[in-house]
Amino acid sequence: MDLLVSAEQSEIIDSAAAFLRDRMSMARTRQSLKDSSIVDPVAWQSAAHLGWFALGLPESLGGVGYGLAEEALLFREIGRSLAPGPFISTVLAARVAALSGDDALAAEIIGGRRVGLAIPMSQGVLRDGVVNGALQLIDTDVETVAGALVLVVDEHAAAIVSVGDLSDAAVVPCYDDTTMLQRATAVGVRPIAELPASTEAICRRGHVLAAAMLTGITEACLWISTEHAKTRIQFDKPIGVNQAIKHPCAEMAVRAQLAFAQTVFAALATDESRSDVDLQALSAHLVAAEFAELNAAATIQVMGGMGFAYEHDAHLYLKRSVVLSHLFGGAGPQLHRLLAQAPAE
Amino acid sequence: MADTVGGAIAAGGSAGPSVPAGAGSTRSLGRMDLAFSAQDNAFREEVRTWLAENAPRDRRPRIGQAMREFDLAWQQRQFAAGWAGIGWPEQYGGRDLPLTQQLIWHEEYARTGLPGIDSRFVGLAHAGPTLMARANEEQQHFHLSKILRGDVVWCQGFSEPEAGSDLASLKTKAEIDGDQLVVTGQKIWTSFAPVADWQEMLVRTNPDVPKHKGITWVICDMHAPGIDIRPIQTMDGSEDFAEVFYDEVRIPLTNVVGGIDNGWSVAMSTLSFERGTAFTVNQVQLSSAVEHLIEIARSRTSINGRPVIDDDSIAHRLARARADCAALRALTYLNISRNANAAEPGPEGSMTKLHYADLCKHVYRLALDVLGPRALAMPIVEDDTEWIERQLNSFQMSIAGGTSEIQRNIIAERVLGLPR
Repeated sequence: MDLLVSAEQSEIIDSAAAFLRDRMSMARTRQSLKDSSIVDPVAWQSAAHLGWFALGLPESLGGVGYGLAEEALLFREIGRSLAPGPFISTVLAARVAALSGDDALAAEIIGGRRVGLAIPMSQGVLRDGVVNGALQLIDTDVETVAGALVLVVDEHAAAIVSVGDLSDAAVVPCYDDTTMLQRATAVGVRPIAELPASTEAICRRGHVLAAAMLTGITEACLWISTEHAKTRIQFDKPIGVNQAIKHPCAEMAVRAQLAFAQTVFAALATDESRSDVDLQALSAHLVAAEFAELNAAATIQVMGGMGFAYEHDAHLYLKRSVVLSHLFGGAGPQLHRLLAQAPAE
Repeated sequence: MADTVGGAIAAGGSAGPSVPAGAGSTRSLGRMDLAFSAQDNAFREEVRTWLAENAPRDRRPRIGQAMREFDLAWQQRQFAAGWAGIGWPEQYGGRDLPLTQQLIWHEEYARTGLPGIDSRFVGLAHAGPTLMARANEEQQHFHLSKILRGDVVWCQGFSEPEAGSDLASLKTKAEIDGDQLVVTGQKIWTSFAPVADWQEMLVRTNPDVPKHKGITWVICDMHAPGIDIRPIQTMDGSEDFAEVFYDEVRIPLTNVVGGIDNGWSVAMSTLSFERGTAFTVNQVQLSSAVEHLIEIARSRTSINGRPVIDDDSIAHRLARARADCAALRALTYLNISRNANAAEPGPEGSMTKLHYADLCKHVYRLALDVLGPRALAMPIVEDDTEWIERQLNSFQMSIAGGTSEIQRNIIAERVLGLPR
């Protein structure tokens, strides 16, 4: 038993962080907000080239051969930097394609074909191999709608659907500036690839990856607040001397540790096929979602007026944590599923 | 291919300051994993079997001499079987087990339902480790084996009416008279004082120097003349706590540990022992409490005739408590991983304590809602008594052993580096 990051994992973290700083920085994202797509296709291609979308796939399926733990550490950095784009759904879709035997599609996705995430707007959207009902599409490529793909996931199965097969697709402004959103309806749509949860629970991996991004957000907000508390001078002292600032920072630190610990625990539980893996994954998503939002809100407060300004990143962290909290069922259904689990191992 | 990805991913350059990458200060020397080794699993089986056959089955008396005898008999049984002092160094008669096996012991111990802290706590987890760190050979020889064998109960005399969080402002006076200290003053919040043989005590030996510099750490014989113990009744109805009054109590100078006026540094070495693997017992018992509440909510009906768990608000809070307990366990594992790789426990233990205190209050308050208004009637249904006691007791979690406010200061200043 060892929950600390290993030397090899540290290399993954450091190199991912360096790439994100260089190629997917917040400054670039802010510039691209006026463009039709906020994803930089060249940077995305580079990420694919680095193996980001196949990190946790077995080598026998064309992957890098790491576990969900390493994927989670990568996604923690993606969350920390708020890099735009459908990272979670692309990684999961590569898995669906590879495990369902569609090697060509898997290779395309691993090679840089983006796959957005469809949030079902009702229960039972995916049933008997057919998709029916209203969807909200996250980070789906607007420019190339004809060839665009989305991933539909519930706890029973995961399916890749062509956006061209959906009707009434329309771009809508999103609560989160750095997330792209579309509405669409599926009427009797047959997926181009599908994977039942009995083969592998894609939803579970989704919970862990979302939790990892939320952990990155939780930690980023702690860092921003703490740095500000050390350097912002009021009444001739750094504001961090005051317990009214110091104590919220301490609370943020506790949340960051908890989110990280539970996310790593859940990722390792998946890699090691523990019997309580669903309990761990659901717990990770729920805890990290609440903590990311609380830390972002606390950061807005610690930053004062600047925290409320569009120019500061605090609100972008807040908004992204809300988006991530809605993925894979959202809090209400997740709590119900968590309660239905057997006790932890 | 797995060998090359680190290098492949390392392609990017760097640009400008931004939020630093994660990882934390301590890195594992090995590989991240959750599984226990075959050796550890065999150890767990051994522990489980022994505890199943040997853990006391009678209900533990809550106060007085009967409680003392129960606790010490349990310690004696553990000692006889070689389970005493699993974390103590071998030179003091302990087992010096690796942290992972200590964790396993405490996880299994928690399943017995016995409290994580009883009258043996100060001796085993507080005074004992301090004596190991700072006492002379004679003092160690006299006291440590008695603690380990279960011959004696220790208590703590640190807090005073005017010295709580600001411990160093303590005033209990100790004057040197020949080869003795003469102690006069008052201590408060002393658990198990009425049944204790010895007390680890902080006294003021020099009032004329900065407050941290005139304190002495001394071993007080609780049977000495001049000691008056008055129980303090607490909001949960128990009388574990006491005030202790000292009227010219004579303590031999040979009982001073670490030298006259040097007690603050001795006390600080005590405090760093306070948050080790033994915390696991609390964490496991809180998780068990939540699982027990889920069972109660499934099996009992509320006023509307439906199972309690059908109430969405109750269900959500129970599920959320489950997630919180999972995260608390993960944090405990993370801390133990960190401590296994570090020379001494870091300030991160304060995070666990802070979170645990909050969580206890939430969980036991939730218990009252699961039990419903029926539990207002005192005396109440037998099985429910303990829930009520625990809920009332939970309020001490954020006060005892360093208040949550002090824990937040420690986290902010020592972990985050915020200015004092």
